[in-house]
Amino acid sequence: MSHASSHPTASSAQGQALGQAQPPLLELEHVTKRFGGLPAVEDLSFSVRQGEVLGMIGPNGAGKSTAISLIGGALAPTAGTVRFQGRDITGLAPHRRAQLGIARTFQITQPFAQLDIRENVIVGALFAGHERSRAAAAQRADAVLERVGLARKARLKGEELTVADRKRLEMARALAIHPQLLLLDEVMAGLTLREVGEAVELIREINQSGVTVLVVEHVMRAITGVSDRILVLHHGRKIAEDAPDVVLSDPRVIEAYLGERYARQRAAEQARGARESERGTPELPTPVDTWKEGQA
Amino acid sequence: MARQTQDHEIVTDSATAAAPRESRAWLWSPGLGVVVLAVIGLVPLTGDQSALSLWTFIVMYCVLAQGWNLIGGFAGRAAFGNVAFFGIGAYTVALLLERNQSYWLGLVLAPVIAGLFAFLLGLPVLRLRGHYFGIATLGVAEALGQVVQSKNVGAPSGEISLTPPSLNFQVSNALFFYGFLALSLVTLLGTTWLTRSRFGYALVAIRENEQAAEALGIATYWYKVGAFVLSALPTAVAGGLFAYWQLSFDPVGEGGAFDVTISVAMILMTVLGGAGTILGPILGAIIIEYLDQYTSTAFTTIHGPLLGALIVLVTIFLPQGLVRLVQELMRAPVGVKQSYPMRVRQGVQRVTRFLASNGI
Repeated sequence: MSHASSHPTASSAQGQALGQAQPPLLELEHVTKRFGGLPAVEDLSFSVRQGEVLGMIGPNGAGKSTAISLIGGALAPTAGTVRFQGRDITGLAPHRRAQLGIARTFQITQPFAQLDIRENVIVGALFAGHERSRAAAAQRADAVLERVGLARKARLKGEELTVADRKRLEMARALAIHPQLLLLDEVMAGLTLREVGEAVELIREINQSGVTVLVVEHVMRAITGVSDRILVLHHGRKIAEDAPDVVLSDPRVIEAYLGERYARQRAAEQARGARESERGTPELPTPVDTWKEGQA
Repeated sequence: MARQTQDHEIVTDSATAAAPRESRAWLWSPGLGVVVLAVIGLVPLTGDQSALSLWTFIVMYCVLAQGWNLIGGFAGRAAFGNVAFFGIGAYTVALLLERNQSYWLGLVLAPVIAGLFAFLLGLPVLRLRGHYFGIATLGVAEALGQVVQSKNVGAPSGEISLTPPSLNFQVSNALFFYGFLALSLVTLLGTTWLTRSRFGYALVAIRENEQAAEALGIATYWYKVGAFVLSALPTAVAGGLFAYWQLSFDPVGEGGAFDVTISVAMILMTVLGGAGTILGPILGAIIIEYLDQYTSTAFTTIHGPLLGALIVLVTIFLPQGLVRLVQELMRAPVGVKQSYPMRVRQGVQRVTRFLASNGI
């Protein structure tokens, strides 16, 4: 029943060590999705190892949300294969994938507006969470709400929440499934700096409790601290996949985010050694973030 | 989130131990429904035959509205053709009675046939989104009536005329009244049980957000088909009771077994009372049917416009229904102690906001 909850508390480092011996938890092979001939995701191959946090970033329209929907099953790929725990799930409906332990959040939050927060979460526990009785589901919901910090708002309706709380609710519902794999679609977009910090901390905790996480973000700063590896999408294609610091100094990534001219400037600056890397300190915005916020 | 600690398991354990007991507040709605039905059950004791006829119609509509409530109120799919199930029930019973078969056989077969029909119809039409589902069901119900008429089902032009049961007229009327009353009680209790089950949670989740419901592991399509079939069952039994109670009826037109206004009435009653609530359809059936009969005798000439104005007012001011208004008044945070005046004040505030959000 609650197979995920019985997971040993493994640090992500242990998870990665295991991941090299085991087949990956999730595997995408040459996945392509076209909308009326227009490619949203093009020949995308990557895998998520058991126990890791994989970050996925990319500019607007890079295909990040499409990738999440292809994994969650809301969209069917035009070509390619999606494998979960070694099993081909390409043709499986979203609810079957949820029952297998793939939980997702929505970028545009999708609360059950007329239900209160607690009942929103009970639904997750009751169905993909495999709880048989309402009482057991309610108990699990209370635990999850406490964990994401929504316990005191349990009786509010889905439509009465602030942006940050709506994102928390998305997380809570996904966690009530006791997932193997958690897909987070921009859960930090629109949050204040402090709320981002809390969300990052929560993701780290969830991961340490044994859940593998694929976190999609627009805000780079949010993701670099928590990810074991980062994958960069641009125009539907993978342009980089490596450790966070390697990815962030990749000229192609900088170019994708900031344009060619900035990439040249920056290279020149770095050559002069006039600039210290600010990226390690989350309090100070990186040029990437500043630019992003200007765009938003 | 600020309260999170490394060993959050301990925090959550203490949280569940301290969790408030399950609230029984939801019981007021079905409970009041049972009380209302029990009071209506006293009507035959008055011996007033015209009152009995009115209240038999009201109780019949309690069943029809509660049936529609499953697909329309809980699953949130605007079915406009539920009268099809009513007509199928009526004609199943009529055709069997014409062949001198048992009435009870008819009452058993009616929901079976209507349920099967709902299943086969639901498979394609429940794949349709939004309004298209409503239009498709409306079309199918209309077509069924026309087919019965043009194919002379049961009688020329489908105009049924049955031999009355060999019973005293007044006794038989009272029996049909209690038949409808028993059926509405069963429907109420069945719906109450369903809404507290996983099935009910699935339907409400589908109504509120189908995409999220699917992502949380709910096989949305099959739950919708299930709700459609279940909504057909009591509707068909009511049709069967209607057939032997009325003895003569047409397939289409006013008072017909496939009359589209029956579908409209089911929806209007449920929405006025509160779609997706247990008490709502009963309240709606009483108010609308009573007003309908009252205005048709008291204001014969402007009867139609009066009802039309009522529909307009309901959609503007009470799209969520009467029961939701009361629920909004009573909703209070769990585990927070509040003085009584404070609860009332906050409740009134919520209701004001609730009405305001409906366009006042």
